Formats: sequence, C-alpha cells, structure tokens
Amino acid sequence: MAEIGKVRIRIPSSIKRGDVVRVRSLVIHPMEIVQRRDGKPVDKNYLFIHKVTVAYNGREILEAETTQSISENPFFSFTFKPTEPGMLRITFLDTHGGKYEGTAEIKFA
Amino acid sequence: MGGDKEGIMTNVWMAGGRISRRGMLRALGLLGVAAAGGPFLAGAPGPALGQGNLGALQPEEKVDATMQRLFGGRPIKDGSNVIKLDLPLIAENGSVVPITVEVQSPMTPASYVKSIYIISDKNRRPLNARFSLTPDMGAASIGANLRLGETTNVRAIAELNDGTLLMAKREVKVTVGGCGG
Repeated sequence: MAEIGKVRIRIPSSIKRGDVVRVRSLVIHPMEIVQRRDGKPVDKNYLFIHKVTVAYNGREILEAETTQSISENPFFSFTFKPTEPGMLRITFLDTHGGKYEGTAEIKFA
Repeated sequence: MGGDKEGIMTNVWMAGGRISRRGMLRALGLLGVAAAGGPFLAGAPGPALGQGNLGALQPEEKVDATMQRLFGGRPIKDGSNVIKLDLPLIAENGSVVPITVEVQSPMTPASYVKSIYIISDKNRRPLNARFSLTPDMGAASIGANLRLGETTNVRAIAELNDGTLLMAKREVKVTVGGCGG
C-alpha cells in the first residue's frame, strides 16, 4: 500500500468572494474493519482514520470523528465560505499515528 | 470509447481490488485523474501485536443504546423538513454508499448547526461519523461514503447551537453487505 495517505482535494475552478464553495476530498486509506474469529471480534490495532480536520488559514472550520463504518478510501465533501484568499488544509489522522495532509489554495476570480 | 475507459482506469490505484468499478468511476468523476496529491507524512509503525485498539472503538450495540449514549434522554424532533438526506434507495455495494446530508440553516454565529451525526441502525457499531461544524462553512452540507452491513435505516441527526436535536431517516436497501463495522 505504497500510496496510503495520498490526499486529493477538488475545489471549483472559479470562486468568487462570498460564494459558498463545495470542497470534495479523498484520501487513499484501507480503513480496516474489525475481524472476527469464531464470531468474536479479534483484538488488534486496527488501522483506520478516526479524525479529519479542515482548517482555513489556520482556523478550524470542520472536524469529523470517523469510524470504521466509513468506506475504504474515504471521501468527504463539505461546504465553506471563504471571505479572503488563503490556504485550505485538510488533515486526516489514523489510529497508527499516521497524519496525512492535503492543501488547496483558494483564490478569487 | 471502451479503450479510453481502460486507459483512465489504469491511472487509478485500486484498493486491493476491492473498490467497485462504480465507486472508482465515481471517484474519478468527482476528483479528476489529474488532481494532485498533497504532501503527506508516512504513518508511524503501530505498536506491537497484542495491544489492540478494539476497546477504543465504538461499542457493538443496538441503535437504541447508541442513541441513549450520544443523546441521553434528550428529545429528538422530526427534522425531515429541514434535513435533506441524499442517499441511494438501493445500494448495490454496501461498502460504498454515498450520502449527503444538508441541513437548512443560516449558519451565522447566532444560529448554526453544531454537529451532524450519521447513524446506521443495523450496523454492529451504529455510529458512522460525527461532524462538528462551524459558521464559517456558510452552509450545513456534508458528504461521505458509508459502509452498510445490510438493509437498514440510516439516520442523520443535526444538533443546533441551541441544543435542539433534529432527525431525518431513510431506508437503504443493501444488495451486498459491506461488513459495516
């Protein structure tokens, strides 16, 4: 899984000041699910993303706590309203301490 | 035409062959082949075997227990007129079920949606995700891909900043279960 943690962010190509922008993001991640043996869950250190944070110019705008009931290669979309140009940063944290970040620059047309 | 499609598909990393063609095409369409990956840090190696995190996961329980744990006895109002739940009626593949939850809200500091919970009734661990929103988002709209173990009701619960709880739910028929957590 060499590409684990690859983050892709998609924003509209032209953004005007005050627009509500829809951002779509995807991270390559296995999101391991609980294994069972003889009907009992196996205790192991499952690897999945448990936290997603979105910050714009350092200010947090969205935080998500995710569970294993989210698909492999999780996809998230959300809206936000930029009032000034800046950098959108999406951070994914997984249970093995992995931190995966993606950024997108917001410029006004 | 067919050849083009194959060409595009070779550019997509396949998740151990488990991602569906539909899911892959969807991801492609949404994100574009050329979307650049951002910088990332490699994941740290996990702790030694035998130190599982099973205990830290969401508990296996019935949906009623989840509701009780998350919301206590707080009343939950019907929010079907303000919450728009966009879900397929029939999900062929339970491991990738796209959902969009949109809550009508002015999203001003005085009145906004504080959190959105997505709960699947029949999953072993019913809570799918919890989103904490801020007024900076401009609109309360969240999309994600869920795993659903079987045909189930999916609920979206919105908590407003004044503490009001609103719920909307819809049934999704799942053809092939996705071992939903």
